[in-house]
Amino acid sequence: MNASSQTWIVVADDPAVSGLVVAARILSAEVTAVVAGRRATAESVVAAGVDRVLWLGEPAEGTPVEAYAPDVARTVAAGAPGAVLGSSEGAGRVMLGAIAALLQAPGLSGVTALERDGNQIGVTRSVFGGIAERRDLVTGGTAVIALAGGEISDPTGLAVPVEEVTANALTTGRLTGLRPKEKAPVNLRAARTVVAVGRGLKAKDDLALITDLADAIGGELACSRPLAEGVHWIAKDRNIGISGQQIAPELYVAIGISGQLQHMVGVRDADVIVAVNSDKDALIFKQCDYGIVGDLYTVVPALTAALAAKP
Amino acid sequence: MTIVVAYKWAPNPQDAAVRSEGTVDFTRAKSTISEYDPVAFELARRVADSTGAQVVGVTVGDASIDTSLARKAALSRGLDRLVIVADDRLVGADSTRLAAVLATVVRRIGDVDLVLAGESSVDVTEGQVAMTLAGQLGWLGLNAVSSVSASDGGYAVERDVPSGTVSMVVTGPAVLATTADAVLPRVPGMKDILGAAKKPVEVLSLDALDVPSAQVTLTTLSTSRPAAGNRQRVIIDGSDPTAAAAELVGALRAAKVL
Amino acid sequence: MTSDATEPDFDVIVVGAGLAGSVTAYRLAERGLSVVLIERGDVPGSKNLSGGVLYGRVLETVFPDYLDEAPVERRVTRHVTTFLTPDSAVSLDYSADGLAEPVNAVTVLRAKFDVWLAGKAEEAGAFLMPGVRVDSLLTEPGPDGAATVVGVRAGDDELRARVVVAADGVNSFLARSVGLRPKPPTNHLAVGVKAVIRLPRVDIESRFGVSGDRGAAHAIVGDCTLGIGGGGFLYTNTESLSLGVVLRLDDLLRSGHTAIEAFEHFTQHPGLAQYLRGGELIEYGSHLVAEGGYPMVGEVAMNGMLVAGEAAGLAINSGLTVRGMDLAIGSAIAASDAIAEAVASGDTSEAGLAGYRRRLDESFVMQDMRTYARAPKFLERPGMYGPYGELIADVLHHAFSLDGTPRQHLLTVARHALKRSPVALRQLISDGWAGVRAL
Ligand SMILES: Cc1cc2nc3c(=O)[nH]c(=O)nc-3n(C[C@H](O)[C@H](O)[C@H](O)COP(=O)(O)OP(=O)(O)OC[C@H]3O[C@@H](n4cnc5c(N)ncnc54)[C@H](O)[C@@H]3O)c2cc1C
Ligand SMILES: Cc1cc2nc3c(=O)[nH]c(=O)nc-3n(C[C@H](O)[C@H](O)[C@H](O)COP(=O)(O)OP(=O)(O)OC[C@H]3O[C@@H](n4cnc5c(N)ncnc54)[C@H](O)[C@@H]3O)c2cc1C
Ligand SMILES: Nc1ncnc2c1ncn2[C@@H]1O[C@H](COP(=O)(O)O)[C@@H](O)[C@H]1O
Repeated sequence: MNASSQTWIVVADDPAVSGLVVAARILSAEVTAVVAGRRATAESVVAAGVDRVLWLGEPAEGTPVEAYAPDVARTVAAGAPGAVLGSSEGAGRVMLGAIAALLQAPGLSGVTALERDGNQIGVTRSVFGGIAERRDLVTGGTAVIALAGGEISDPTGLAVPVEEVTANALTTGRLTGLRPKEKAPVNLRAARTVVAVGRGLKAKDDLALITDLADAIGGELACSRPLAEGVHWIAKDRNIGISGQQIAPELYVAIGISGQLQHMVGVRDADVIVAVNSDKDALIFKQCDYGIVGDLYTVVPALTAALAAKP
Repeated sequence: MTIVVAYKWAPNPQDAAVRSEGTVDFTRAKSTISEYDPVAFELARRVADSTGAQVVGVTVGDASIDTSLARKAALSRGLDRLVIVADDRLVGADSTRLAAVLATVVRRIGDVDLVLAGESSVDVTEGQVAMTLAGQLGWLGLNAVSSVSASDGGYAVERDVPSGTVSMVVTGPAVLATTADAVLPRVPGMKDILGAAKKPVEVLSLDALDVPSAQVTLTTLSTSRPAAGNRQRVIIDGSDPTAAAAELVGALRAAKVL
Repeated sequence: MTSDATEPDFDVIVVGAGLAGSVTAYRLAERGLSVVLIERGDVPGSKNLSGGVLYGRVLETVFPDYLDEAPVERRVTRHVTTFLTPDSAVSLDYSADGLAEPVNAVTVLRAKFDVWLAGKAEEAGAFLMPGVRVDSLLTEPGPDGAATVVGVRAGDDELRARVVVAADGVNSFLARSVGLRPKPPTNHLAVGVKAVIRLPRVDIESRFGVSGDRGAAHAIVGDCTLGIGGGGFLYTNTESLSLGVVLRLDDLLRSGHTAIEAFEHFTQHPGLAQYLRGGELIEYGSHLVAEGGYPMVGEVAMNGMLVAGEAAGLAINSGLTVRGMDLAIGSAIAASDAIAEAVASGDTSEAGLAGYRRRLDESFVMQDMRTYARAPKFLERPGMYGPYGELIADVLHHAFSLDGTPRQHLLTVARHALKRSPVALRQLISDGWAGVRAL
């Protein structure tokens, strides 16, 4: 297949696309978006400042956006862009999977840099959970790229019309209900200080110790994966790591967290990392700036008290 | 009917060594059933027990994935039988290649209406293979599935999405990637492992499968090892918590991060 | 699956896929017995630390071609003994091509070697069952009323066999649970801290003076263990080094240091820096080692059960080397022969299994255990780990340093050094004598 020098993005019901648009503009001046989902989504993509919006039409009642994946793939294949970018979260993966399958092209995740050299696209990715980096040249067709979505930004660029494309969504799945979460998802990426706790915590009630410290230090609460899943003591969107959020705060305090690879890639870019752990051989002590070897149940209250005292 | 569980026999990168030039050496990291795939085995077994379906495990990869250890590890987790494609032409295969091979195997098995997969593999951690498999098959693909059960004419599925829990009914063939904590998988006992050795295993040759060829390829220009981040590693003894806390707070204030 | 309470599931259950367990399972399966080999690690070897020097002649009697077949790292042709003081290292280097032909000792990495050995047992027909931790033994009163082991329990499952082999390593929870071994006193145990350091082949060859598949084994004493009873070792693998310290548990507890501190002290010693420079730590952990010597070997058989390898207390710490792998293999040979005989005769009672102890006593295993019976006592003498190292270094320093002064007779040097050293002459002579007899 002969790929053009155009860059496309695919959007499925997640209007947080400005990250995709910014990345797409690295690769080409013009950006086309393929949108599955409600018209409102298509409108917000227009507002994010793209040059062309192809919308697959209003979904019938109960049709999940994932049912449009084959349509999205066909639309992208017809356009034969040099690169197509989508969200690495949720429905984005489903869209990219359908595109990668139709084009028989590898799906590229963990992308840290994109470059264009003439008609070729170079992609730098972190691989195997972040232990290594690899720079590849994509040849033979479209580069299929998964990226974290980013924020909804203020309207930019000129308004373009929403072009409707006929679609033939799968009819094998039907939505029957939604139990909304009580709290809106948090964005830890914006926090300057983050206090995270892991499996060193013995009981849910003891969380107060950690939130007290977070309050004293003026930080957001976060956790390692086992506290968000399995025990559900802390909301999943506060999980830090390869399958949670990747953050770069000025100060990251890890309490009762062993420091395994899958967690630590989430805070690799933090300025200062502090660890509290009772095991002096814990991996995290090799990856922190300051560490206290001790029981969190005595160290954390002492820290909270020390922060309250004036310097 | 048949439920397929796509699972991976993979090493944990935590145990891999990265050479200074960025190439990864997995020889010291032992492979096991990928961390979250037992969740898919367990869900599949529970659904099959309620519908009378059989559960077939499918895994594809290089030659090293077919050992008696690997077979027993999978078959002792509630499978009825196993289909393996183990070929060194799949060394380092990307998610689309793996999904293409998986798709031909699923088609060959025949009466499959459900493929279950883990959230993400322990080595690659992209959560992409299963959704690409859905694309190859032209089936509905759903990730973040926290619950599956048989319901009238199909399956009742719940998904864990940022806004909440979505419930759905799936009436046609589908590929579902589970959340890591959808169920607590069983730990195989001695009888499960003994029983595993008696279950059928089919080894398919890559040549016997009509796998579409890759259209887009990657040429690796360079590899590198991410800078370990020069952390200061100032370790404070916390046996006197008050003194340790004072020392840390003092240091953080001096470093102007407080 | 249900099993008739009286009909065993297997002829033999072997618990632990270390060297003792895998060799026992292999030799029994070879003879057509039905054998299950149960290992708590997901993969054999995954629970066994790094590696060491295997005195491999005994393995050759089981696998004549093991040198070509097994994942051995290097054939040891250089044995170096190093005495460390805080700032110097003195080495005695014994290197001879004679050591390579026939091959006496090889270095192995357990993570690879155990997989191979368990694989041999599996090929021979044993059922390998990894990822299962045996929780307890099943016992029943035998015909004579005495407790008889009839199987094992793990989780909710039970398996039965005519004979159970406890090859579960130094802690042998199984042997202890039936009173075959008392909980060892701390002066019969040592803590080993081991690590594997990756180092390019070229560096290993130039630093250790070896080439091809040849390798070196360094034993290190003196200022390497913070004065705690014990010693260190440094072995070459193909593209890595195994190194570590072995510390007497009672002494360690007394010292107030942790094993890790002693290990770090060891690796940072200037005398070792030249070998380790630029290496990358890739594996690290600690493990107990039995070092009570002959007195620690307890009962090795009861009705329906044998204890093999380090589970039976079979290990030797000579002060310069730790041996356990070859003894484990030796005991496995004795155990498998005895079990085959007992199963054939239909008598798997303690009396029927008595051939095990007899074979052990006749083999090199018990002979070496007796020869080194005094080693633990020798090692208990505190001077071995601190002052002597300095003393020896001092002697050799004076003998070798060409500073223009006339060379003194070595004995005079020794006496001078002794005056400066905190060790009394009488004690030195007596320890030296104990040492000669023990080693
Ligand atoms: C594909 C994949 C993706 C993953 N994604 C993520 C991810 O996004 N985020 C994530 O976090 N993990 C992730 N993981 C899991 C990860 O591998 C680890 O299992 C997890 O991070 C461990 O969490 P932890 O450190 O809280 O628990 P543990 O490893 O159990 O550590 C608990 C620590 O608490 C210490 N402790 C215990 N008691 C006390 C006390 N009283 N005082 C002080 N310290 C104490 C212990 O010494 C220990 O170091 C993933 C794994 C896989 C396979
Ligand atoms: C620091 C150090 C250095 C050493 N260096 C050397 C050396 O250079 N040369 C040498 O010859 N020896 C050396 N040794 C001693 C040697 O490692 C042991 O003597 C040897 O491994 C004993 O073999 P084994 O088969 O009896 O037991 P192990 O090798 O310990 O095997 C026991 C197996 O049983 C399994 N197991 C235990 N409990 C259970 C259970 N309940 N259920 C299921 N499985 C179970 C374990 O996971 C393990 O795989 C060293 C030891 C140490 C600690
Ligand atoms: N080689 C493979 N064979 C079978 N299933 C796989 C394979 N690789 C990945 N999977 C499945 O796809 C899921 C996601 O993997 P990944 O995209 O690599 O994160 C895994 O949890 C498995 O269920």
